[in-house]
Formats: sequence, C-alpha cells, structure tokens
Amino acid sequence: MRNSGAVLILTFIAKLILQAAGVSPPGKPRLTSCRSPEKETFTCWWEPGGDGGLPTTYALYYHLENSETVYECPDYRTAGENSCYFNKNDTSLWVNYNITVVASNALGKNISDPVEVDVVYIVQPNTPENVKAVVVHDEQGPFVRVSWEKPRTADTRSGWITLIYQIRVKQEKDEKWEEYDAGMQKYYNVFSLHPDKECMVQVRCKPDHGFWSEWTQTTYVKMPNYIPRERSLWILITIFSIFIVLILTWTLNVKRNSMKLCLLPPVPGPKIKGFDKQLLKSGKTEDIFNTLVIQGFPPTTDYENLLVEYLEVYDNEEQELVLEGKELSEDFMKSKSSSDNDSGRGSCDSRTLLLEKCMDGREGSGSDQHQYSQHGETSWASTESSESQGAEPGSPESTDGRAKTWPVVFPQPHHHYPVGAVKPAYHSVPEILNQLSPHATPSNYHQLHHQDIPQQELRFSKSACRHSQSYNQFNLDGIDTPAPGVPPLPSLEYVEVQRVNPENMLLLRPLSDPNREPERSDCTGEDYSKVKVVTSHNILLLQRDTSHQCVDDYSQADQCTTQQPPHPCKPAVHQWNSVMPQEGMRVMGNGYVDSTVLMPSF
Amino acid sequence: MSRSLKQVAVLLVALLCLDPHSRVSSAPICTHGPSGCHVPSLADLFDRVIQHSARMHSVSNDLHSEFEQYFLPSKNHIGKIYRKCHTSNILTPNGKENAQKLAREELTEVILKLLMAWRDPLFQLHQSMADQQDFNSFSSNKALEMGDMAHELRKGVEKVAEKMRVLGMLGNSVTGLSAAEAMLPLSESGEAMSDYELLYCFRRDSNKVQNYLKILKCRIVPEHDC
Repeated sequence: MRNSGAVLILTFIAKLILQAAGVSPPGKPRLTSCRSPEKETFTCWWEPGGDGGLPTTYALYYHLENSETVYECPDYRTAGENSCYFNKNDTSLWVNYNITVVASNALGKNISDPVEVDVVYIVQPNTPENVKAVVVHDEQGPFVRVSWEKPRTADTRSGWITLIYQIRVKQEKDEKWEEYDAGMQKYYNVFSLHPDKECMVQVRCKPDHGFWSEWTQTTYVKMPNYIPRERSLWILITIFSIFIVLILTWTLNVKRNSMKLCLLPPVPGPKIKGFDKQLLKSGKTEDIFNTLVIQGFPPTTDYENLLVEYLEVYDNEEQELVLEGKELSEDFMKSKSSSDNDSGRGSCDSRTLLLEKCMDGREGSGSDQHQYSQHGETSWASTESSESQGAEPGSPESTDGRAKTWPVVFPQPHHHYPVGAVKPAYHSVPEILNQLSPHATPSNYHQLHHQDIPQQELRFSKSACRHSQSYNQFNLDGIDTPAPGVPPLPSLEYVEVQRVNPENMLLLRPLSDPNREPERSDCTGEDYSKVKVVTSHNILLLQRDTSHQCVDDYSQADQCTTQQPPHPCKPAVHQWNSVMPQEGMRVMGNGYVDSTVLMPSF
Repeated sequence: MSRSLKQVAVLLVALLCLDPHSRVSSAPICTHGPSGCHVPSLADLFDRVIQHSARMHSVSNDLHSEFEQYFLPSKNHIGKIYRKCHTSNILTPNGKENAQKLAREELTEVILKLLMAWRDPLFQLHQSMADQQDFNSFSSNKALEMGDMAHELRKGVEKVAEKMRVLGMLGNSVTGLSAAEAMLPLSESGEAMSDYELLYCFRRDSNKVQNYLKILKCRIVPEHDC
C-alpha cells in the first residue's frame, strides 16, 4: 500500500518534472495517402503528430476486412520516411485494408485514425515516359507530333491496367495550357500552332478508375517559320481584287464622259431664247431680269387675249417638215411642262432649242419677226429678249450682235426660199390659236408638217442645227434693210417680214430698224406680229392685235406663185383691223396650223 | 419501328444468304460467311462485352458515391463494418498473378458465376430503392438499368464463351452454368443486406468482372489495345 502510493507520487513528480522539461507523449500521427502505381503494390504515407520532445517510433498496423488478424507493415524503408510499402505478396485487391499508425515514445504512444483502403481504387500510375515532340511538315502546314511511352511499371499488355493519356501544350508567352485527350493511343498531332514560336509539351495518364499521374517534364519544340497557306491564299485574293479594282477605275476613267451621261443626265438647258446662263451664274439679279426685258414690251394688257403658239418646224431625215406646236411656257426660267421632250438632253442637243442657238457663222442680215403670244400670261418666251442679247442659252458658239433670221433652213446654199414654196428644211411659224384655221392652203406656203402636240413647247428640231448653215444662206436680195449694210444689230432682235420678193423670199427687217416707215414709229411697241391666216394664195397673213390702235403694216407674203415670177411681187399691205373670221382657215382644235396640206410634193 | 425494319432487313439478308437447294435446317443465317453478312469476330465480341462491363461499373460507381454522399457519414468513420458480400463464396483471384494463373475456362466461369450471382440481388435492390421515399426516381432507374446491364452482360459473356468453344479455345471443362446458383444475398447472420451494402458489393464485383474480361481478352486476342 505504501509502495503503490510512493510509486504514484513518484510518477506524478516525474511527470511534472518532465513537463517542466518540455517532453510529452507523441502527438497523433495521421495517414495522409495511400497510392498504388500499378495495381499490384501500394504505399501508405503518414505524417507524425509531434514527437513530444523524445525520440518517437512509428508503426503501422493493418488488418483485412472481416479478419481480426493484425499485421504490421512489412517494409518501412523502400518508400522513404514515414511510409509503408506493401509488396505484391502483401497486396490483395478487392479487399479492404484497415490501416492505423501508432506513434510511440518513452512517455507513451498515440494511435492514428484508421483508414479503409481498397487498392483497386487508389491507383495512380507513374508518369508516361520518353516524350518526344517532332515537327512534321505537311502540305497544309507543319504540325507537331507528340509521342510517348507508357510508364514502365504499368502492365497494359496483359490488360491488367488500361491507361488513357492526356497532353497539354503551351506556346511561349501564352498563359494557359491547351489540353488534349489522346485516349489510349501513345501519340498525338497538335495543329494550329503559331509559327516561329517555341512550344512546350507535357503528358500524363490515368487508369480507367483511378487518379491522374503527374505531368511529365516539359518537352520543348520549336515551330518553324512559315506562312500559313490560308494566309497566302488571302494575299493572292487581295492582290487579284486590287488588280480588278484598278482595271475598273481605269475603265471608268476612260469612259468618264459616258458614265457621267449615264449616271447624271445633263440637265436640259434653259430654253429661254436669248437668256444668258452665264449671266445667271455671275450677274446680279437686276441684270438678269433686265436682259429679259425688252424696251416697250410687253404692252401690258394688249396681249392678254392673244393665244399664240409657236409652230415649230424641223426637218427630219426624210425631208419632211415637222411642225410641232409649242406653247410658251409660263415661266421662262423654269423648265417646261411634264411632257417636255427636252428632258435628258443637253442644251445643245435639245431639240427645243431655238434655232438661234445653233447658228453661228450666220450672216444675220435681217431680224426676224417672231410673233409670240401668250396664254394670257405675262411671261413669255424670252427668245425675244435673248435676241437682243448676245449669248444664247447654252450655246457656246452663239454669236453676238447677230440678227436672227427667220429660222428657215435652206437645203442648199442658193436655194432661195420662196414664200410658201417648198423645200425649206423647217421653220417655225407662230400660230394663232383660236383664230387660225389652216386648212388646205396652197402649197406655196411653208411646208409645215403639223404635229398635234398641244401643251408642248414649240421646238426647233435638232436638225435645225445641222442645217444652220443653210439657214444662214438667206438670200436677201433686194431687201432694203438686211445685207451687209445693216448696222450691226444687237444679237437677237425681232424682224418683221417686210415683203416677199419675186423670188419668193421673205424679206425681213428688224423691228428696231430706223428705216422703218415712220408710220410705224408710234407703234414701235409692236415688235411682232402673228400669222393670222394663210390664204390660198400663199399669203401669210399676219395679224396685229385687234385692240391695238395702230394700224401697222402687215407683212405678208405676197401673192407670188411658185414659178419664177417675171416681176417682183410688190408687197401688198393689208390692214387688218379686226380679227379675221374663221373662214378660210382651218384651225386645228388647239390652234395649230395644219400645214400638212401645204407640203409640196417634191 | 426500327425493330420491324431490322426484321425486314434480316429477312432480306436471309433471302440472299439462303441456299435454295439446301435442306431446311436450323442453320444460322450467315452460312456463306463474310460475303453474305458481317460476322463479328471474337475480338469484336470481346470489345463489346468489355465496353458493356465498363458501363455497368460506372453506373454502380455513381450510385455508390451518391449513396455515400447523401446517406452515410464519411468513409473513414470508426466503426464502419462491412458485412461479407454474398459473393465472397466465389473464389476470385485477388491479384494479377493469381488471375493470370487461372485457365481461360476457369476465368470465364468465374465471370459467369459472378454475373449470375447478381441477377436476383440487383432486382431486389431496385425494388427496395423504388419503394423507399428517400431515393428519387433517377436513382431507382439507375438500379434498374444496372440490373438489365448485368443480365445483358451475362448473355454476352455466354456468347463469347460459346464462340471460344466453337473456335476450340475453350475446353469442355466449363461446367454448365444453367445450374448456377441463384444466391440470395444473405449475410452470415441471415439478415438481408442493406441497399448500401449491396451497392458496395456490386461495385466491387463489377470491377472484378471488367478486369477479368480484359485479362481474358488480352490473353486470347492480344492484337490490339493490349
């Protein structure tokens, strides 16, 4: 009794002393992991829990499931410190191992928690071996072929273990690895690598049920420098397309003008006779409008009732006179009505150009007398005004200071124009709308081929331009006023038909001619007359406005037959004070003179 | 629909293959060999069977981990005692050498025994999982699937054995398996095993089957993948 008490006290004191010295029984060890590299052996590792200051020994004990026999670890050394290696003989598959580790030192021992292990499920193979990466040059571009071998310890040959492989690739300066599954094969082709870069490759493997092995050491391979075929194809395509673009540009450049015509059809020039486009561009508005104003014209109220239309005659290829009715537009500044046939043509190409535009080199020896009328509008074709001007709208070759002759085209230079005779190429005849009735009038008259085109402008056909030459050949024999002696008139001016000489020529004289009869002086406001009627004797009856007080001469084509008259015809001046009744004339519905009947047979 | 098409196709093949002059007998359809139809080789048969067993094992693995995750504490819990699986009576090689020492016939027999032993317990497992409220239908479907797969696998292995026998690779020492024991999964104490224990045991046994089949294949047809 006393001894046990003494022993107790002694041990207590010893403990206290030992504690003061810092020694204690070992801490609890812990099994960290158990692994089998080939499903035939396995190893377990533990970590010590603290030795308590005294040298501690560790022992591993295990027992199989459903068996009470406890075995100790057969091999503490092979696998290193704090490990236990189970060799083939000690390894049984499909059996649970219950493993514990015991740490013991002088003061005591400590037992770890038990761990249940079935070897089949702790397989972690060794890394694959002999990894090789080779650059293979292919027609589609080089790629890297990675090949390796199975870990030496794994027995796949007998089918005991089935390994699947995985490789990962990283090119220099990339952040992430690219992983590829290679299945059970022992090679892999890596495509889509960038040229001229170093490439790092690693491989690992895993059994069908188990853990991945560690990655192998990095294998380096350098990609060659090459241009990807895709890129070269794109380069080729780019060059080709540039080439095509250049060709197109060159073609466009060559065909610049026709392209312009096609894409941007030229705006038809203003058809205002005598209107100066240049002035419009540069001049002041006052000047522009002044040019349109004729002195003394228009008489404000006189022409309200007049409805005169232009008859335009132009010559087509078949030598037919084409007369197109033309109504003066309201606004000489604007383009004409919707059915304007001028659209799309340049001013020089416009068929509605007044003939004056196309005349150059003309020996303007007389001024024409145009008769215009308005539909009660104040604005009217500014052709008169433009006559007094120099430039013609849109006509670069307009002549300045030239008197415009009657737009008659002579087919041949010396072919005189017989009044009412045949074969003038064309001319335009103003037409009296409501009062004229141009029925079958004698063929002496102008061969006017009437075209019933209401609401259209009177147009001078294009062919007028071509015949402008003959136009000019207006033989003014015997005429008083024209001929070189005529003082240079301002560009456009009205002329009036003075008389018709025996050779069936219209003798014109400008309205502003100082040589005019004085009786006309007080009627200088009258600048034009209109054809009232064409009588059966090849007489153009020009009419003055009825309301006008003046009694002016009426120019008329005198009775001159088509044959060469032996004597010059004397102009007979008829005075009309009133509007001619309707007989004797056939007015087409809209006032056009039907001149088809006047066409001579050639 | 596909089945009827298959039947039609088979009939057509039969018409092609059949020799009109031959006597009526229960000859297999493809008597004329490769010209008539494709006969799977032994290697193909093995591959199919191995794939099937791999699938079966993975399903059992999934179920087992599901079980462990939701219904049971951690693996290393003290006091976890596994009862013996009902198939522990069947002698199975527990190592590579042992497995390689076994003859082909024995190995085949072991496989077939194992598969046979699990026919009823799997059915039982499915029933009990379906009955319990704890399992969702997905899990019980997996159990059912497992049972079907085990059944098919057994049939497949039997076919392989038949083929091997025909080819003369297998002696006639393979005992008739029709007398295979239909074991009841009773533990030593006579109690029925729980679902978890059944799953645990089946996972292990399916792994065994897969392994044995692979060994058998690489021993018999070692050309590829070995």
